Amino acid sequence: MRKILIANRGEIAIRVMRACRDLGIATVAVYADCDRAAPHVRYADEAYHLGPNPPVESYLRIDKLIDIARRAGADAVHPGYGFLAENRTFAVACRDAGLTFIGPTAESIALMGSKTAARQTAIRAGAPVVPGTESPLPDGLADADVRATAEQVGFPLLVKAVAGGGGKGMRTVVEPGELIGAVRSARSEAGSAFGESAVYFERQILRPRHVEIQLLGDHHGTVVPFVERECSIQRRHQKVVEEAPSVAVTPALRRQMAAAAAAIARAAGYTNAGTIEFLLDQSGQFYFLEMNTRLQVEHPVTEMVTGLDLVEWQIRVARGERISIDPERAITPHGHAIECRIYAEDPDGRFMPSPGRILSLKAPAGPGIRRDSGVEAGFEVPIYYDSLISKLIAWGEDRAQAIARMRRALSEYEVRGIKTTIPFFQWLMTTRDFSEGHFDTTSLDRELAARAGRPFVGAPEEAEELAVIGAAVRSYLKASASGPSGRQASRPNSRWRNAGRGEGLR
Amino acid sequence: MNFEIDVNGRMRLVTVERVPTGPHRFRVTVDGTPHAVDAVAVEADTISLVFPEAGGASHDVGFTNGLSASELVVYLPSGTLTATVNGRRSRRTAETAAAGEQRIVAPMPGKVVRVLASPGDDVAARQPLVVVEAMKMENELASPRAGRVREVVVSAGESVEAGRLLAVVE
Repeated sequence: MRKILIANRGEIAIRVMRACRDLGIATVAVYADCDRAAPHVRYADEAYHLGPNPPVESYLRIDKLIDIARRAGADAVHPGYGFLAENRTFAVACRDAGLTFIGPTAESIALMGSKTAARQTAIRAGAPVVPGTESPLPDGLADADVRATAEQVGFPLLVKAVAGGGGKGMRTVVEPGELIGAVRSARSEAGSAFGESAVYFERQILRPRHVEIQLLGDHHGTVVPFVERECSIQRRHQKVVEEAPSVAVTPALRRQMAAAAAAIARAAGYTNAGTIEFLLDQSGQFYFLEMNTRLQVEHPVTEMVTGLDLVEWQIRVARGERISIDPERAITPHGHAIECRIYAEDPDGRFMPSPGRILSLKAPAGPGIRRDSGVEAGFEVPIYYDSLISKLIAWGEDRAQAIARMRRALSEYEVRGIKTTIPFFQWLMTTRDFSEGHFDTTSLDRELAARAGRPFVGAPEEAEELAVIGAAVRSYLKASASGPSGRQASRPNSRWRNAGRGEGLR
Repeated sequence: MNFEIDVNGRMRLVTVERVPTGPHRFRVTVDGTPHAVDAVAVEADTISLVFPEAGGASHDVGFTNGLSASELVVYLPSGTLTATVNGRRSRRTAETAAAGEQRIVAPMPGKVVRVLASPGDDVAARQPLVVVEAMKMENELASPRAGRVREVVVSAGESVEAGRLLAVVE
């Protein structure tokens, strides 16, 4: 493998290119119109224009991506996450074009991409699944039969799209009376979102934690499960904070979950990187939820507590190498890692997207801090794609130190020009429930509802005073620079001005 | 030099004078209270403040231009504030925001996916009126206060630019 095309943009494109560079592999970037100046384009060894900004005309164009890979002489394609990462057709198109798809086989993507087929695979592997229907509800099933099926599953239940993801095509049904309407609206939403309207039922686990097992499989039958990640801090079904390990998982439970995950992956004939998601209920019982057949956004927390490079292993597995990772190392957390997803959103404005030009950017650094970013000062965050601009990851010897370092890094992180979720995380990291690990997948939404839009960083008196003094001094300096002496100083080649600048910087 | 500076709706009278004790020394008087300040302009519109008579406290304060000529966005490690220097009193805008007709505009470009209210509907404060999709997310745009919907000028499926009027509540 000499040259890899990265069929993605933003932080994940750069993350993959870094692993390529570590391995001495050349990188090919692709870009839509608005991404010409994007960091992922300039980081790459080669870059090719894809098309107009809407994803369907650029990052989702399989034909163009394959064509560019051929023209560039790439021998492999990494899909990142999102876009075409879990698209069976893309994996097939790569294979047909003689390109190595760095991910699972098209067959695994198809099998585990269907929620009902994935559940059946998990049952075959002997893993616990959330009680529910084992196959999609037949089309045109009479309302009475829909009710009877639901009674068997039990209320409250979830109507879920077979092809679902991201909370789309999903409805919660608390009482039988809501059932028929919920099935109808879930079907129609799933149909328009995924082109497939099939739905099934799952009993709703009350206040579960979301705990997932990363794994890697090679083409020689090895499957290595990793220490769990907890991703219970979610806003409207979207993960915003992830950590490893989970405060709710004991070493014994970890081994059980890892064994169940590995069994499911083996039953699916799974290769490359993937993640088995589980729900953990309040009694400590866990249930298979679904499998993500791709590298995940939150993979860095696993890397931080194991010291392993998952993207590098994806590439090595794809080129046929055997996984030589000590299974004990993969399952044993070394310290604790937390990731905050920094979005271009206004947390004090109901998390509304905040695209636009980044005027300046100060990045955090120092012990235990990792930042995977797709943006920099001067870049205009486009409106067309996901609003994730970077991921901030803090590692500590224990959870308390990881939280302290995260707080420190958040206070160092300054993005001017657009709104970001940094203030939200500054608040979250100080909450008692987070520091004590008391949360489930419903906690954040409840807490946000209770806050009713109260700003996350209440400016203390001292901050207001500093803002006033700073603004006054700035106005004074501006005014004196444009006054009589200032005009003189602004002549070209003013050594005095340069000296003054040097003085100011000293 | 005198300034009127408004932060969070409170106006302060501020005087800035250079003092001879050092090359970057100022006396900054806020509403009659003097502060000894050592101030240096550093990179990218940022001022480093050191308070020699307040235990040497050191703070960086960053700026970008705000929405109007007199408005500044102020960046501090604890968060972001808006300051208005010699501008019109922000109280006036706050008053107009609380009364009269409300124009709900798109804060970003996107696509209208749902319209949740019709002309004549009575709506509560923060009740969503229009859902606009941008950056792969559905964003509910709500009425800032209770009132009656006078008009909704967009329909589902329509693309909207930032600043485009969506609905009017009175």
